[in-house]
Amino acid sequence: MSEICTAGTEAKRDCQVTVTRAKSIEIKIDTTNRNLLVAGIRAVVEETVAALGVKGARVDVVDSGALDYVVSARVEAALRMAIHELEVEPLAVKRNPTARDRLRRTRLYAPGNNPRLLVGIELHNADCVLLDLEDSVPPAEKYAARILVKHLLAALRFPEVWVRINPLDTYGRDDLAEVLRAQPHGVCLPKAEFAASINELDEELTRLEGEYGIPQGSTHIMPIIETAKGLLHCEGVAAANKRVVILAFGAEDFTRDLGAKRTQESLLFARSMIVASAKASEVQASDTVYPNVEDEEGLIAEARLARDLGFDGKGVINPRQIEPIHAVFSPSEQEIEQARRIVAAAEEAETQGIGAIAIGGKMIDRPVLKRAQRTLKLAGLIEKGGAQ
Amino acid sequence: MKNTLGREVPESLGKRELRPFKGAFATTPAGRKAARPQKTVRPGENKVISSLEEAIAATGLSDGMTISFHHSFRQGDKVVNQVVDACARMGIKDLRIFPTALFPVHEPLIEHIKSGVISRIEGSMNGPVGAFVSEGGKLKQPAVLRSHGGRWRTVEAGDVKIDVAFIAASQADSYGNATGIKGKTPCGPILFSAVDAMYADKTVVVTNDLAPYPVFPFEIQQGWTDYVVTVDEIGDPESIASGTLRITRSPTRLRIARFAAAAVKASGYFKDGFNFQGGAGGISLAATKFVGEEMEKAGIVGGFAMGGGTRLLVDILRGGLVHTVLDGQAFDLAAIDSLREDQNHVLMDPGHYANYDSRGCATYMLDAAFLGATEVDLDFNVNVNTHSDGLLLHGIGGHQDVAAGAKMTVITVPTLRGRLPVITDRVTTVTTPGEVVDVIVTERGIAINPNREDLSERFRAAGLPVRELEAIKQEADELIRPLRKPVFGDEVIALIEWRDGTVIDTVRRVTRWK
Repeated sequence: MSEICTAGTEAKRDCQVTVTRAKSIEIKIDTTNRNLLVAGIRAVVEETVAALGVKGARVDVVDSGALDYVVSARVEAALRMAIHELEVEPLAVKRNPTARDRLRRTRLYAPGNNPRLLVGIELHNADCVLLDLEDSVPPAEKYAARILVKHLLAALRFPEVWVRINPLDTYGRDDLAEVLRAQPHGVCLPKAEFAASINELDEELTRLEGEYGIPQGSTHIMPIIETAKGLLHCEGVAAANKRVVILAFGAEDFTRDLGAKRTQESLLFARSMIVASAKASEVQASDTVYPNVEDEEGLIAEARLARDLGFDGKGVINPRQIEPIHAVFSPSEQEIEQARRIVAAAEEAETQGIGAIAIGGKMIDRPVLKRAQRTLKLAGLIEKGGAQ
Repeated sequence: MKNTLGREVPESLGKRELRPFKGAFATTPAGRKAARPQKTVRPGENKVISSLEEAIAATGLSDGMTISFHHSFRQGDKVVNQVVDACARMGIKDLRIFPTALFPVHEPLIEHIKSGVISRIEGSMNGPVGAFVSEGGKLKQPAVLRSHGGRWRTVEAGDVKIDVAFIAASQADSYGNATGIKGKTPCGPILFSAVDAMYADKTVVVTNDLAPYPVFPFEIQQGWTDYVVTVDEIGDPESIASGTLRITRSPTRLRIARFAAAAVKASGYFKDGFNFQGGAGGISLAATKFVGEEMEKAGIVGGFAMGGGTRLLVDILRGGLVHTVLDGQAFDLAAIDSLREDQNHVLMDPGHYANYDSRGCATYMLDAAFLGATEVDLDFNVNVNTHSDGLLLHGIGGHQDVAAGAKMTVITVPTLRGRLPVITDRVTTVTTPGEVVDVIVTERGIAINPNREDLSERFRAAGLPVRELEAIKQEADELIRPLRKPVFGDEVIALIEWRDGTVIDTVRRVTRWK
């Protein structure tokens, strides 16, 4: 055992756990409202220690209002830093795989090592939540972050939850090995540049799915295109593997890579290229985040542009951006009504055995019908999800 | 004896017989109001005294008597401590203090309780004094907590007889007219003390700004005032905003506020002439802001908004979204400036806004109100007084009065505060009964009191996330292990009065944990 290992901080909603050498299990807990809380925290600590099979350690917990999953994560991180040879089991998670073409109007980013900012992250009606282990987590915190994300995945329920791992040539493989133990719906690969790296990720996922008893092939991939190289290869990236269900755009890194300034014009080529590549492989496309949280008008304008270009959704950095984006990417009453008419006409044509579909003398071709069906499907999904 | 909420309450407090709570509007007062002794002041008589000690001596204050204060300076108050210190120096003991509320700044009173200068407290306790009293055995009699309206009522009814009222006034004249919205250190309205001034045997105005006659508005009137004392300092107006007045930035809390505003919009009350109470807590403040935005969008002009006055309500008034703001107290300096300058921003005393034993309350004219809670339970009962560990830490404020009056009372709470659950099976202390609570809004959904089926239909039609309170509770409880529970003994620390003077609950001393 190493001498002293610490995980977590004394920030609000976190807890700091320090593990030191001891012959038996000794647990010391410091918290506000001692009388009310100590027993519950102790139970969580004891269970975590037992699950890891640790027989001797002194565990000091300084709690600042952490939820149970945060306590578990911090205890596990500190113990594993201290005792390297511990056996770690997958967590008991029951997650139903999600459909390839489900509603993905928003992907909400959440920093993977900040318990305070993770509170209530499951509640904001984002179509996808992305727990981030990459840019928002400094290297020294990656270890604790992936364990926190794992416990969060097991504790909370989401319509669809993803983990943004680090690139495979940095911390990505360790991220995968950890978070797959709690079976996210998908994995988001930043700075995707080649079909080969998607397939590499696929192999790793297949191996881990086998090891952890996850249905083979059920974990989705979301490549993020955010470099010049990635953009030039994005057709291949989208087509690389059937796990890829959505292609995302990251404009911040992209403009930096190009030495470009972020304007609607400077991003137009990349956006169009990404949408075309995605659609060619029957994959969804999700636009970049809008960084100015205060500017709702700008957000809506950019979301409309993305929608008109063919994107299915957009990234979100603050929950208050969700509602405006959902409004933009949800079909309007008129669109739904028009789609109903088209689909009804198609059914009518089919029962009558007529090849051509027409409404009011105007011919409807196949892509229009397909789009109408998609509109109705979205409308149905939105209604079911109680979207706000 | 047990009241109708099943809470065990004592039959008497000292010599005063107590009545158990029977229902929000169950009691009917009888008899006549109490009154102070007659007195006349002839032309030319002087009321000004230059030290607190002399004033105390002049009032004849002695052992066992009752003194009262207001809390308009909130955390910035300097009068309560000065007066009690002076009493202690003069050897007076066994006092009952009857403040509208105490704040953490009044922590020095703990020493006076220990030394016997203070032996009873009837009034709200926010912070250390409440925690100290909760430990038990320190006061001769349980403390009594009342709402704003309940306190006014109890004085008029003679349940509490005030011997000497000490009233901090940021400006007063030598004849005893006084106000809190003018002077060197304005603290906002001091009308909470109007009932003290009218009913106390002796009324002493304490000011640091003696101005030429007449000082107005006549919040405290010359005809009520026995003495005017000048002191160097009465309080720090910068501290009246006790830290509660920032609109929350937490996405979870903003979500609650948005739900609350959407609930108001869908309630059926949201139309021209709509009257509402704005809160001062982070969530209520945000909800009030969002309601204002919705009014603007919908082109609705409200009737009146009710404070605690805040900059936000001032903006709503100036923006033409309401005709009138009614304020009994001010929570920031912008509200005080507005009260002085804008004739549609109106001072209001607690008798006018909240007194059960009266011929009408402003709260009864409210359509919607946002209120907070430390705990709520599955019967929609609300606790604002104690924490889950049984410590007495907060006053009632206007909670009962507003909840009882508003057509739709909305409690805005997160389901968890850190590891502490807010929704419980049974609140530690009942402050406000579930029968007057219509809606509980959390970040996990909106629960509607079963007696408001009408609201349920409207909310569902508007697409709001209406859920059973129990389902919301269960979802939050899954994130934390159950807490240990305090076991309460027989010793009663405090009585919680309902606004009609009946006892709705008691706070008891914690004996052990299970």
